[in-house]
Amino acid sequence: MDSDEDTFDNDNVDSGNVSSGDDDFAMEVDISSSRERQTEPEEYHYEVLTTDQIVQDMVDSISDVNGVVNLPRTITRILLNHFKWDKEKLMEKYFDGNEDKFFQDAHVVNPFNKPNTISVPKVTKSTTDEICEICFSRNPSGMMTGLECGHRFCKQCWGEYLTTKIMEEGVGQSISCAAHGCDILVDDVTVTKLVPDAKVRVKYQHLITNSFVECNRLLRWCPSADCTYAIKVSYVDARPVVCKCGHTFCFDCGENWHDPVQCRLLKKWLKKCDDDSETSNWIAANTKECPKCNVTIEKDGGCNHMVCKNQNCKHDFCWVCLGSWEPHGSSWYNCNRYDEDEARAARDAQEKLRSSLSRYLHYYNRYMNHMQSLKFENKLYASVKHKMEEMQQHNMSWIEVQFLKKAVDILCQCRQTLMCTYVFAYYLKKNNQSMIFEDNQKDLETATEKLSEYLERDITSENLADIKQKVQDKYRYCEKRRKVLLDHVHEGYEKDWWDYTE
Amino acid sequence: MANMAVSRIKREFKEVIKSEEIVQCSIKIELVNDSWTELRGEIAGPPDTPYEGGKFLLEIKVPETYPFNPPKVRFITKIWHPNISSVTGAICLDILKDNWAAAMTLRTVLLSLQALLAAAEPDDPQDAVVASQYKHNYSLFLMTARHWTNAYAGGPSRFADCDQKIQRLKDMGIDEHKARAVLSMENWDLEKATESLFS
Repeated sequence: MDSDEDTFDNDNVDSGNVSSGDDDFAMEVDISSSRERQTEPEEYHYEVLTTDQIVQDMVDSISDVNGVVNLPRTITRILLNHFKWDKEKLMEKYFDGNEDKFFQDAHVVNPFNKPNTISVPKVTKSTTDEICEICFSRNPSGMMTGLECGHRFCKQCWGEYLTTKIMEEGVGQSISCAAHGCDILVDDVTVTKLVPDAKVRVKYQHLITNSFVECNRLLRWCPSADCTYAIKVSYVDARPVVCKCGHTFCFDCGENWHDPVQCRLLKKWLKKCDDDSETSNWIAANTKECPKCNVTIEKDGGCNHMVCKNQNCKHDFCWVCLGSWEPHGSSWYNCNRYDEDEARAARDAQEKLRSSLSRYLHYYNRYMNHMQSLKFENKLYASVKHKMEEMQQHNMSWIEVQFLKKAVDILCQCRQTLMCTYVFAYYLKKNNQSMIFEDNQKDLETATEKLSEYLERDITSENLADIKQKVQDKYRYCEKRRKVLLDHVHEGYEKDWWDYTE
Repeated sequence: MANMAVSRIKREFKEVIKSEEIVQCSIKIELVNDSWTELRGEIAGPPDTPYEGGKFLLEIKVPETYPFNPPKVRFITKIWHPNISSVTGAICLDILKDNWAAAMTLRTVLLSLQALLAAAEPDDPQDAVVASQYKHNYSLFLMTARHWTNAYAGGPSRFADCDQKIQRLKDMGIDEHKARAVLSMENWDLEKATESLFS
């Protein structure tokens, strides 16, 4: 707990530093910066936890609950897992009355009824050897063990059983008693005691930790590859969090940070791009079905008199109105039924699909373009680093060349933002505010591309001062425009400006 | 691991041999080889079912990890039942999959299979054709199942009509089992069966 407070304190100090720095620094933009701070959402506190800290967090949660309900720790853990580590909900249900049902739902034997349940097997089995129902061998009572449900097996069989569950089926928190039809859960202490192999115990600990993080609303694994950290927040919100591994992501949905578009729309967009919905859109926009046998036809030339190539069909029809060819006459291949209502409706539907496809492609291509550019991020950093080294050999100090790195940082941020603005724009309905948004977008886009172009240029000792000036001006401009764009969208969220096309 | 599987099978074997069901001849287990990894089971068709009077052979393969994983069981004797494949003999039964518990034995498996013969679950079918016949034409299902029991498991009921139709297809050069399978699938419609055989 101490460390928590420490980090919070530090954060406060940090933010204090930044804002006071602003005041000293930006004299001329004093008014605008004070306005900015009003719209700036308050600090979002989170912690990055290592695996050990996660385990500690789990232990702390159990202790917290135990302070109130006073149950064995092993039972508290199973209960907490049942309630997805929501302490309040657990307490609420616990004091809600129906105790038997409470424990039964969580697949635990009610510890307050213990004397009754345990006495039955004890009386029958206390005297001599018992037969284990799994291996059928006769064992002294000391070698037999079981849960509160009273089903007893020999320790070796328990070990094998738990090992199979953990290693083969990957079950952690929800291993139940080995008896048929018994759903009482095995607690962690029992598992650790009965599993002989350390490797299996490690895997079990891993499974338990994983389910703790996955179940817990306030925790999320860092989604970047091979990262073992988890982020802990005090309340769930769509905010950017930065993991110790350097990856920035949205806490709410786990995707890369996607301001200004909201999680819901981003998810929809990713799904749209992912699955084959666009293939079918293409088919819908570019093909028609034979009105008789429904085979899909793409017309790649020729007149409007279609003869279905399906050998069982061979239907004659008009491509334009989809009616039978007969009334069109055979003298000229021209659809004179073009304006009839039915044909018009079919045409309108076709038109709509076509335009919706080209609309989608418009946004998709721009989205992909920025994504592709971002993928070369590493390459860009490498080339800039090379450039900076070169410049230092040309009588320039380390500090003088740092602007290049800063420019690349900003370039990447702008691309990330621009990428997401296309998702936002795709779902946006046209209105006055959306036009302002599009202007902002266009402006940022142009500036970003310009910045990108400057960074590609060769820098010589002659043009250095000029380039440096240009790059710095441009990235400051980009930075500012990016902020303006985001602020505008956020203001829109607050004031309900945005209508969506879904 | 394997040691536990073998020693348990040995004990279970004794248990089945001694059990009451053996005395009543309703279940039986035999060894196939000396390694204890493959066994042959036999269950009698339960009374008041279309399988009554039949003896059904089962292939039981014991995995290395037995009893923590279920034995692999399939019908060797051909059978017409919604939860058993009429082609491969594969069985759809929860305790042979997810609901297996280490404390279950070969005896309980065989008894459960017997119970499955008595109470089919057409909504969770292994063989969709059989299941749909069971649901939509129950009397025809009963006849087919009885006929199969007679043909493959030594059951008592003969159906002259079925035999005749099979004979007709055999005269056309079709193998007897194939003829029976196709006729059963086509609800004993000779014309449709011929069509599906020759198209």
